[in-house]
Amino acid sequence: MSASTATASTLSDSPRPGRLRRLSQLRAYTQNLSSPSGQRARNSLSSRIPWLSPTSSEFPQSQGTSTSCPDDHSPLSRYTSAPTGYRADSQVSSAESASPPPIDSNRSTDMARLRSVSAVSGRAPRLGRTATPESLTQIQTAPVPAPATTPSPEPTTASDAADLPISTLDAQSPDAPKQRATIRFFPYQDSYQNSRPSLPFVPISRTLPSESCVIRVGRYSERDGIPIPNPVEPSDAPVGFKSKVVSRKHCEFMYVNGQWHVKDVGSSSGTFLNHMRLSQPNMQSRLYTIKDGDIVQLGIDFRGGEEMIFRCVRIRIECNRSWQQQPNEFNKNTESLIKNLGKGETADYSGCRECSICLGSVLRPYQCLFMAACAHVWHYKCISRLLHSPDYPMFQCPNCRAFTDLSAEVDDTNDYEPESKEDKEAPATTEENGPAPRSETQSPSITPLATDMPHQQDAIPEEPDLVTDVENMHLQEPRPDVDTEDSRSTDSPAPDGSSDDLSRSATRSAATNIPGWQSTQPLNVPHVSHLRADTPVRSETSDDNPLTPRNDSGPLAFDGRAGMQ
Amino acid sequence: MSQKRIAKELAELTESPPEGITVELADEANLYEWKVYMDGPEGSPYQKGKFLVKLSLPTGYPFKPPTVSFATRIYHPNITNDEKGSMCLGMLRADEWKPSSKISAVLQFARQLLSEPMPDDAIEGRIADQYNNDNNRYREIAREWTRKHAMAE
Repeated sequence: MSASTATASTLSDSPRPGRLRRLSQLRAYTQNLSSPSGQRARNSLSSRIPWLSPTSSEFPQSQGTSTSCPDDHSPLSRYTSAPTGYRADSQVSSAESASPPPIDSNRSTDMARLRSVSAVSGRAPRLGRTATPESLTQIQTAPVPAPATTPSPEPTTASDAADLPISTLDAQSPDAPKQRATIRFFPYQDSYQNSRPSLPFVPISRTLPSESCVIRVGRYSERDGIPIPNPVEPSDAPVGFKSKVVSRKHCEFMYVNGQWHVKDVGSSSGTFLNHMRLSQPNMQSRLYTIKDGDIVQLGIDFRGGEEMIFRCVRIRIECNRSWQQQPNEFNKNTESLIKNLGKGETADYSGCRECSICLGSVLRPYQCLFMAACAHVWHYKCISRLLHSPDYPMFQCPNCRAFTDLSAEVDDTNDYEPESKEDKEAPATTEENGPAPRSETQSPSITPLATDMPHQQDAIPEEPDLVTDVENMHLQEPRPDVDTEDSRSTDSPAPDGSSDDLSRSATRSAATNIPGWQSTQPLNVPHVSHLRADTPVRSETSDDNPLTPRNDSGPLAFDGRAGMQ
Repeated sequence: MSQKRIAKELAELTESPPEGITVELADEANLYEWKVYMDGPEGSPYQKGKFLVKLSLPTGYPFKPPTVSFATRIYHPNITNDEKGSMCLGMLRADEWKPSSKISAVLQFARQLLSEPMPDDAIEGRIADQYNNDNNRYREIAREWTRKHAMAE
């Protein structure tokens, strides 16, 4: 044991001692496995969506185009090529891997274009932008594809791409202080795959001081000092994990064009996004977009040792949730609800005011309530089982799946900037494309968006922010019948407890009521599915589809399920 | 607490049942076992059939998902082709279940599944293949099974 611990620290050195060589063999094996499984993910994803042919992109009508143009590098075709594409990228080695950003932003620009056609006639305020990745998840399939089938010529977009980051920064700087990009990492345990627990760690949050910052993730090292898990100030401090399967430089998180991305920076044991390996050992990957609820796994359990230090790290990403942390209609409603509790006049709080556990009202005075940070309220008695769970102090809201740290410091500051400005701007600028910045209004967007799009063909051509929107788009069959209803009942950020909302979600869109959490929604919902341009979707990995190679029987063997159907 | 909630949901479902669905308790004294009668959705091969679906709620409900099984034999890619009639529903998996989901949503989802099977998530791979490749034959058999098992006399 001591030998392996000692040698493990020289992981990257060669020649490797026997045990470590095995570890690297194991990695190589993983590498081989990861490809077919990636493909499987793709297949099952596309085949699950009735109107998508296996070769089609997220835009149904573009099927013809993407199949007929094999070298089409439009954002659309990239989606389907992603799982295999990353291999190709990484095989080209450093020359290629040094330039994933251009590729990516190139793609993004296309997206931006595409989006600009469909979208707003004015820049959404920063607030809106952080919210939109989630809020714009509802888009009908029909209107979008038109621009999609005619991607703008490559050369121009490529040159545009270069300008993108700058313009984004400029545009966002005015209200940047309030709306910085925040990402949080929570430990994630694969509950139904009977895998060994992954490395435990305290939740980590990072708020970027500026958008150009990068959060480096790697093995914890004494030299770097103890990383601060939750700095109060914006910070891009590196994140370290005390695990031998994490490389010193493992992966990086960055915020580009209003979207969080992850990139493997040449780790030896791999970075997995929703069970898909991003690159081959010691190869950089391109950027992959991530969104709220995604699972990022660093390394693979080294089965040679039982200690925690050989465990892989599984991170549940929480991002794009800042809308929830600011005053929004839903939590302001809740505030007034609480103020008026017991005054006999509880009336008309749009959104539902029932405890989603017992379905009873929380509006009666004189009972113990619990309100989570997301402003969902339950009877204390009802929710207590989820509060005092093995995960304590982490608490996951059963309505919107937001994680909160119940042991977090109390925030008794009183420095809310008046949000009136944003409030006024937001609806104005986004009225036309439906989803208001505050995600609570995501659903009402459906019809307006669809109908307005054609008229906005000549709206601003460059709208980098909108990249995010498109990438987060949901495809959904038109259901005009629910629209009017929606605008009434979904004006809260995650009005999940509402009685009819749930039933609707079953038939319409699983993601409607949970803006930030799309991936673990039952994808099996008929009519509904969602996908992103290039990121594997977690919910594709059902228990019969463990895409992450696993090795339960020893340092050398896998159980083999990983590569199989 | 679970009893109260279940009673509430039962009352709601009895009062205003979703289309094509009627519920009752299998045993009046036991809130946890439900009998659900589901009409085959129009346009599906299950049309005109009346399917008995058993819904059982764990004592941990709503923290634990209910289980749904078809007591009436049915020919469907997502429902096991045996006496158990187990059904796979994404939303009922332990880690996807949310306490805020309601039985009514579950049942409507199940009925929806009858009109739109999800061959990619199939339990019965053979039926799923048939559904994909020989849809007419699938519909024929499903209709026949419906006639044989799901139509009372």
